[in-house]
Amino acid sequence: MSDLIEVRGLRKAFGGTEVLRDVGFTSAAGTTTVVLGPSGSGKTTVLRSLNVLETPDAGSVRIADAEVDFDVPAHGRAGRARRAREVKALRARSGMVFQSHHLFPHKTVLGNLVEGPVQVQGRPVEEAEADARGLLEQVGLAGRETAYPAQLSGGQQQRVGIARALALHPEVVLLDEPTSALDPELVGEVLGVIRDLAAEGRTMVIVTHEVRFARDVADQVLFLDGGVVAERGGAEVLTDPREPRTQQFLSRVLEKG
Amino acid sequence: MVRRCTPVLLALGALLALLLGASPATADGTGGSGGDRPVLRVGTEGTYEPFSFEDADGDLTGYDVDVMRAVADEAGYDVEFVQGAFDSLFPALDADRIDVIANQITINPEREARYLFTQPYTYSRGVIVTRTDTDDITSLADVAGVRAAQSETSNWAQVARDAGADVQSVDGLPQALELLAQGRVDVVINDNIAVLSYLSTRDDAPVEIAGDVDDEVSEQALVLRQDEQEVRDRLDQAQQRLAADGTLAGISEDYFGADVSVENTGEGVDPEGTARTRWEVVRDTAGPMALGALRVTLPLTVISFAAGLALALLAALARMSSSRWLRWPARTYISIIRGTPLLVQLFIVYYGLPELGLRLPGFTAACVALSLNVGGYAAEVIRSSILSVPRGQFEAATTLGMGYRQTMRRIVLPQASRIAVPPLSNTLLSLIKDTSLASVVLVTELFREAQTVAQNTGEFLVLYTLAAAYYWIICLVVSAGQGRLEKRLARYST
Repeated sequence: MSDLIEVRGLRKAFGGTEVLRDVGFTSAAGTTTVVLGPSGSGKTTVLRSLNVLETPDAGSVRIADAEVDFDVPAHGRAGRARRAREVKALRARSGMVFQSHHLFPHKTVLGNLVEGPVQVQGRPVEEAEADARGLLEQVGLAGRETAYPAQLSGGQQQRVGIARALALHPEVVLLDEPTSALDPELVGEVLGVIRDLAAEGRTMVIVTHEVRFARDVADQVLFLDGGVVAERGGAEVLTDPREPRTQQFLSRVLEKG
Repeated sequence: MVRRCTPVLLALGALLALLLGASPATADGTGGSGGDRPVLRVGTEGTYEPFSFEDADGDLTGYDVDVMRAVADEAGYDVEFVQGAFDSLFPALDADRIDVIANQITINPEREARYLFTQPYTYSRGVIVTRTDTDDITSLADVAGVRAAQSETSNWAQVARDAGADVQSVDGLPQALELLAQGRVDVVINDNIAVLSYLSTRDDAPVEIAGDVDDEVSEQALVLRQDEQEVRDRLDQAQQRLAADGTLAGISEDYFGADVSVENTGEGVDPEGTARTRWEVVRDTAGPMALGALRVTLPLTVISFAAGLALALLAALARMSSSRWLRWPARTYISIIRGTPLLVQLFIVYYGLPELGLRLPGFTAACVALSLNVGGYAAEVIRSSILSVPRGQFEAATTLGMGYRQTMRRIVLPQASRIAVPPLSNTLLSLIKDTSLASVVLVTELFREAQTVAQNTGEFLVLYTLAAAYYWIICLVVSAGQGRLEKRLARYST
């Protein structure tokens, strides 16, 4: 299987603090990659580098045929224009689910779902709406089309967030701690939806603290620590870690859970 | 952040061009034959009974107005009257907003050095007016050290000042006499005709003519700019013909029962006057004031608010731009607007810009000044509203592939507008009331209507209270609209 995602040599510093120091990995199409690590390890920064919400200082990101090489300088008017085109193409390959959903509060559920397809991709409204209704059914929210986000529970909001990311038909879905902001009793419904997506063969990159859930869905696990990939492997990393740092982290997280 | 704002700028430009082209109801088109005779723009107070005032129907009339109409007609001109406070007449003449002043302008050496006069059409003498209970002021010598109320640029102010009086500036003779009656000043100096005429309509006023200024007879004539020699000569000749055939004497008899257009004027003047009751004044004025509100105050508010908001949005976006070439001018603009009085801004636009060759009609000048003012204040409101939209909203839009303009238009501004409605409503309420300042640039809006009639009738309290009531009603409607809008915008919040 060819790699759908290829990340090489990512570096990023905020102020004087190096958050990423040479992070690289690949993900095959149809697989789920789980990114784990203690807070401050840079896992969210890695995820946000994949759609350039953070601009890496060095390295490169490729999804399918779209690549941005941050080692090539983008100076001058022409350079900046070229970089903007590359970034736009890369972003079009992924959809993102945020920790606190970031739904558009002034638009209905359906409005949130068709915003990208209609306004950005230029698809006909009827087609986008039909598509959106299908997605809402898939995430268990059929019939809530006309509700505003504030009228939904946290779990429902996050499921709409997932549907909004899927509405763009992205090749990769990026999920940034999708259950961290939820009340414990609402976590299950969101994880259920993500589990279905994994079973469907979606390519996903997930930053999460839910280790038990990660065991179920992960095809690949990246354990980040101090801005580098400390351990990388299959789901067995979560049950039988080799690295002492990984062991330490897992035991701490599992004790709490 | 801001990349392209050309369409909005173009729209603003078009709006401005529209304003320059059409300026409603600041001038009274009068004039007989309606042919294509040249038009003389004539400045006059419209509050100076019996020389220049509005009758019960709101039509401009008076001795000076009728003389002007007759002379212009004889000389082959159409006239268009422009009403303004006395102190704005000479600046308006200087700025080429009017061609002639017909307002009992007294010939004196300073004015003769700067302007052209026609032959005098009024001969009068100065009198000293006091309260009836004042006995110790009977001549100019007694005026030293007492308080006088005078129009600042009128020659009577200089007479009073030279006599040692402490001069308070007022807007016209009626206001001066009102202050005198109220005991706020001790003396008013003006010409006998104007004073007698005023007293005839206000016989309850506790004021009286206490003495003559001196033996001198002053002469009043039409005033033109110095480069208008040819027009002056035509008017002069026409005036002489009308003096010869008795037309001027006839006009004078109508107003004063005496011929003041020749030199031996004065005694025995018995001015006509029809005093209206307070209720009649209010009844006659309520309509014109409502018209002033509908035809000028409301359009001025709507245009200035719309243009101001567009300007404010541009300034707010520029202020948040990453380019210092956008940020810096926006900051300066906002700082100047918020740091200077609106009245001064209005004066700069109306009286100042003509010196740079930009002569805007009163209504347009008021629109420009008010728009710029709203723009400066609303820019900060809009900026803080945009900043209060959570960062995640920008990010979510970005991950959907939206660019800066799309994100602003579809995601950020709709949310910011909800936050901005209450403070922007305050800006709008202020604007409605600030339009009353347009009265100082010769725009006949709601307040100016009230002012004109109040000056002529002395009914200050009821007419200004009526004006206040009109403003209040407009603001109540706007506040109700704000409530509905907030409700509508809040529909998604719970």
